[in-house]
Amino acid sequence: MISTLKYFSIFLFLLLVNCTSRPDQASEVALPKTDSSQDLSLNLMDEKMLQEFISSRNGKYLFLNVWATWCIPCREEFPDLIKLAELYKTKGVEFAGLSVDYPDEIESKILPFLEKNPVNFPIYVQNFEDKENAINLLNEKWSGAIPATFIYGADGSQLHFLLGQHSFEEFQQVLQSLIK
Amino acid sequence: MSRINSKMIMVFSLVLFLLISFSYSGEMSKAENFTLKDYNGKSHSLTDYKDSKVIVVMFIATQCPVSNDYNGRMAALYKDYIGKGVTFLAINSNKQESVEEITQHSQKNGFQFPVLKDPENVIADKFNAQVTPEIFVLNPNYEILYHGRIDDSQRESDLKSRDLRNALDEILAGKPVSKQETKAFGCSIKRVQK
Repeated sequence: MISTLKYFSIFLFLLLVNCTSRPDQASEVALPKTDSSQDLSLNLMDEKMLQEFISSRNGKYLFLNVWATWCIPCREEFPDLIKLAELYKTKGVEFAGLSVDYPDEIESKILPFLEKNPVNFPIYVQNFEDKENAINLLNEKWSGAIPATFIYGADGSQLHFLLGQHSFEEFQQVLQSLIK
Repeated sequence: MSRINSKMIMVFSLVLFLLISFSYSGEMSKAENFTLKDYNGKSHSLTDYKDSKVIVVMFIATQCPVSNDYNGRMAALYKDYIGKGVTFLAINSNKQESVEEITQHSQKNGFQFPVLKDPENVIADKFNAQVTPEIFVLNPNYEILYHGRIDDSQRESDLKSRDLRNALDEILAGKPVSKQETKAFGCSIKRVQK
């Protein structure tokens, strides 16, 4: 009887994991305690580098915003991201932007945009071999529409996936819920 | 006896678990019929095209740079497949893109397929279309045989996988579509607040 219950419990566990596991419901992690100044950088990022970047957390949350210069809602959202990065830089949240413009548009499009929007967090530029793999790597439920923001815990697990343009207050609410 | 029962329950549980797992991904979804007007005011319904071998529904935009990079490819697809029993219906669901703008855009890009205006993005919602360009390929029963991107690169010079053409060729050859789902990438469809 005990054995029967054991097997049934395993089944229930598997069923629950299968039906309820969603990236935005991943377990929360402890509040990171350290922070360091962000360097402004503009590097290319392929799928492997993205994976490594997400998993190399150094005890911090990651706020990763995927954007492009041609995306109007992304551009509208950008000033709020700068304000948020300033607000959370000492609170254990690392901010990063991933532009899905083409690498050969850095000079012509990305840098002129960043000159008008002085960014206080690193910007990476996609250099993906396969866009679909990269989309799935960030979230299998993501259609690829931008802007899209992914928030990771200090263990590299995805805590939130926010599709579309969000306000300063909406982002702040999510971040506050993490660092309480 | 108890041991046998335990094993049976375990096997039954695992089979049930696997069945539930696969049931999420295995079913073929079906589109509902719809009626929309093109920029000339002519109504188009899916039922108008029930004699087509294939219906390609394309969510497109006038202002999205990604969608616009596909204008030439969409016009070429129409030319290459219209004689093979394939119907192309483009839909513009963006709230800020007017019928006048759609007219000019279609004429400028030489679109020979109808471009339908989807007021208040009702049809985009029904298809759960998220971006432009985003493609749904239907059979005459409106079953969705392919959903996703036109191909894998906004830049035509870099493309490696012509997903929509591959799907159409397979369907026309009477074969199952080997890649039924890809990720459409592009600009978010600008929806009205509901």
